[in-house]
Amino acid sequence: MVLTDLHKGETAVVVRLAIEQEALKQRLLHLGVKEGKTVRLKAAMPFGGPVMIEIDGQAIGLRRKEASSIEVK
Amino acid sequence: MSYIALFGNPNTGKTSLFNCLTGSYEYVGNWSGVTVEKKIGVLRQHGVSVVDLPGVYSLQPLSRDEGVATDFLLTEPCSAIVNIVDASQLRRNLHLTVQLLEFGRPVVIALNMVDVAEKRGVKVDAAKLSKYLGVPVIPVIARTGKGTNELVHAVLAAKDKPHSSIAVDYGVEVENAIRSIAEQLPDDVPGNKRWAALQFLEGNERIAAYLRGRFDLSPLLAIREETEQALGCQAAKHIYETRDRWISETIAATAIEFEQKPLTLTEKIDAVVTNRYVGLPIFLALMYVVFMLTFNWLGTPLADRLDAFFSGPLADGLSRFLDWAGASPFIKALVLDGVVAGVGGVLVFVPQIFILFFFISLLEDSGYMARVAMVMDRVMEAIGLNGKAFIPMIIGFGCNVPGVMAARTIEQPKERLMTILALPFMSCSARLPVYALFAGTFFAREQALVVFSLYVLGIVVALGLAKLFSSTLLKNENSLFVIELPPYRVPQALTLWRSTWEKGKGFIRKAGTFIFGGSVAIWLLTYVGPRGVGVPMDDSLLAAIGGLIAPLLSPLGFGAWQAGAALITGFLAKEVVVSTMNIIYHVHEENGLKQVIASHFTPLSAFSFMVFVLLYTPCLATVAAIRKETGSWKWTLLSIGIALTVAYMISLLVYQAGKIVGFP
Ligand SMILES: Nc1nc2c(ncn2[C@@H]2O[C@H](COP(=O)(O)OP(=O)(O)OP(=O)(O)O)[C@@H](O)[C@H]2O)c(=O)[nH]1
Ligand SMILES: [Mg+2]
Repeated sequence: MVLTDLHKGETAVVVRLAIEQEALKQRLLHLGVKEGKTVRLKAAMPFGGPVMIEIDGQAIGLRRKEASSIEVK
Repeated sequence: MSYIALFGNPNTGKTSLFNCLTGSYEYVGNWSGVTVEKKIGVLRQHGVSVVDLPGVYSLQPLSRDEGVATDFLLTEPCSAIVNIVDASQLRRNLHLTVQLLEFGRPVVIALNMVDVAEKRGVKVDAAKLSKYLGVPVIPVIARTGKGTNELVHAVLAAKDKPHSSIAVDYGVEVENAIRSIAEQLPDDVPGNKRWAALQFLEGNERIAAYLRGRFDLSPLLAIREETEQALGCQAAKHIYETRDRWISETIAATAIEFEQKPLTLTEKIDAVVTNRYVGLPIFLALMYVVFMLTFNWLGTPLADRLDAFFSGPLADGLSRFLDWAGASPFIKALVLDGVVAGVGGVLVFVPQIFILFFFISLLEDSGYMARVAMVMDRVMEAIGLNGKAFIPMIIGFGCNVPGVMAARTIEQPKERLMTILALPFMSCSARLPVYALFAGTFFAREQALVVFSLYVLGIVVALGLAKLFSSTLLKNENSLFVIELPPYRVPQALTLWRSTWEKGKGFIRKAGTFIFGGSVAIWLLTYVGPRGVGVPMDDSLLAAIGGLIAPLLSPLGFGAWQAGAALITGFLAKEVVVSTMNIIYHVHEENGLKQVIASHFTPLSAFSFMVFVLLYTPCLATVAAIRKETGSWKWTLLSIGIALTVAYMISLLVYQAGKIVGFP
């Protein structure tokens, strides 16, 4: 399962960050998005726009494409 | 000269603290990336220099503003580091703390946002944390200045002293690698050799570049490779994980978490403003309200009153005073027809400008800014930019210069460049007097609508141009958008007033310097002519200069020398367009400037003129900022060239199409 499969308000645990772009991966790590963390999907913008997630009480916006390369369970 | 440097994650209150410590009024806002360059101040009563830096998550920069912080460590001496730590986000903040401790200068930790942490159900034991980290930890509330005295004492005590702090143990392989790298480093590396070795192992490009300038890196690269083979993974990953584990232990021992409480206010607001369906409409509606307040409901009535005061009591009083003081007719004309007309003509728009700045400050301090970036990202992506580029654009509504600077936070160099190039089309507050004057004269009833159409036109041109660039010159495959959404904060009245005033002050200062000087110069140009002094205005030097470009402008509907002269002087600053018009059309009769302008323009040519002023060239200050930020004259000149071309084409289209359709 990937992050974007979650419904609004659901939580899951991050299993793997399958993101190729090094800078983006770094950024997510900086913000605490890493394996073993619990994430919650808070909102999704229309027309394939970004999603809003919450991790460690911190809300983060990122694009759907990248969110769908974050594997969760 | 040696500094006390403020380091910390973005949006943790560094600038708030800096302002408390030094009594300055630097730019504070509730999103990540407010501060984009280093700011220097002096510690009150102690005469020590303090430096505020852009926020960073680690010492490996991903964007230009972050580079400023790392470069500071590498190139400037600091006697102590104050690390601002957000108590409500302890884990990610401590990643930076560990790196700063490893650097080896004295560190004092300012534990900030204790109030937010408590609301979230987290309490941090400062004394215990201090014992764990081996450095002083002082709880503060940077917003109110609470705890700053204690902090200053701790910093002054720790400054320049030898010190010992913790060392995270990274395991045999890495520790061995650190030792062998450190042996090869020259003695003058900034910071501890251990720190430099670790940063190198982590793949910090800035450090590598710094070292490469001094000696051959290949032995160090070999060590890194060997280590990674022994570890079976990237050294960076191993180091990160080790730190993270160490941080977990530290937090477990020093912070009590009663229960994870969500911030209810933030949750509630976000449920509405980031809602799938109403998120974007809400943003547009808010913009509309701000707009109506600035131009219709509140701003214009106030400006009219101020205008009545300037042209009535003030001008009369000054005239009587000059008579009484026995001023010569020349001086009297210079003051009344030059300075009062030129400067006063711009100052009457202070109410609108302050109202606009007030709302921009409100947007900045509330936390909504980052949400806007997210809501707009889908649109921006289609254009080849990302949502973060919208923040500089909004700032650009106030003034293009800080907007151009704010583009530093955009990670992708191409996206950053496109944002900078698009920015001059955002209608800044300096163009507002021009609209207010012309729309007020020709479109009294539809004023707000007409001005609104200009703002929208600016955005459309900016985005259209970005789209053009992203599909031709600046193709960009790996766009990047990750944004931190901070909790909302109720803006404090004092902060709000201060940031409104700091922005508005710029406008008033410009009136007192640039526009004042410009007005005097322009009046003198109307006073002297090729054939003597005191000539009729049509024979003046200004008329000759304006007349040079007037024929070019006549297809756009404003071919008189007056318009040409106003536009040329407007390159200094766009308000000067209004000053020049005021001086040229200055009349002593009661009916005033609006009537005179009404006889020189038609509604259609007035609209075409406003379109041209909106687009025609970035002002002098913006050109300087673009030059500085792109580091290239080529892009700067291109920016000016594009602006002139686009302005000419669109004004031409507006005027000619309008004429065909039959507008007056
Ligand atoms: N509740 C609370 N808010 C604070 C505190 N300190 C600062 N703030 C708010 O936090 C926000 C960020 O403050 P800044 O001083 O701009 O933060 P910064 O670290 O300079 O941010 P960047 O320049 O973006 O890295 C502002 O809205 C401040 O009003 C605090 O102790 N408590
Ligand atoms: Mg700051």
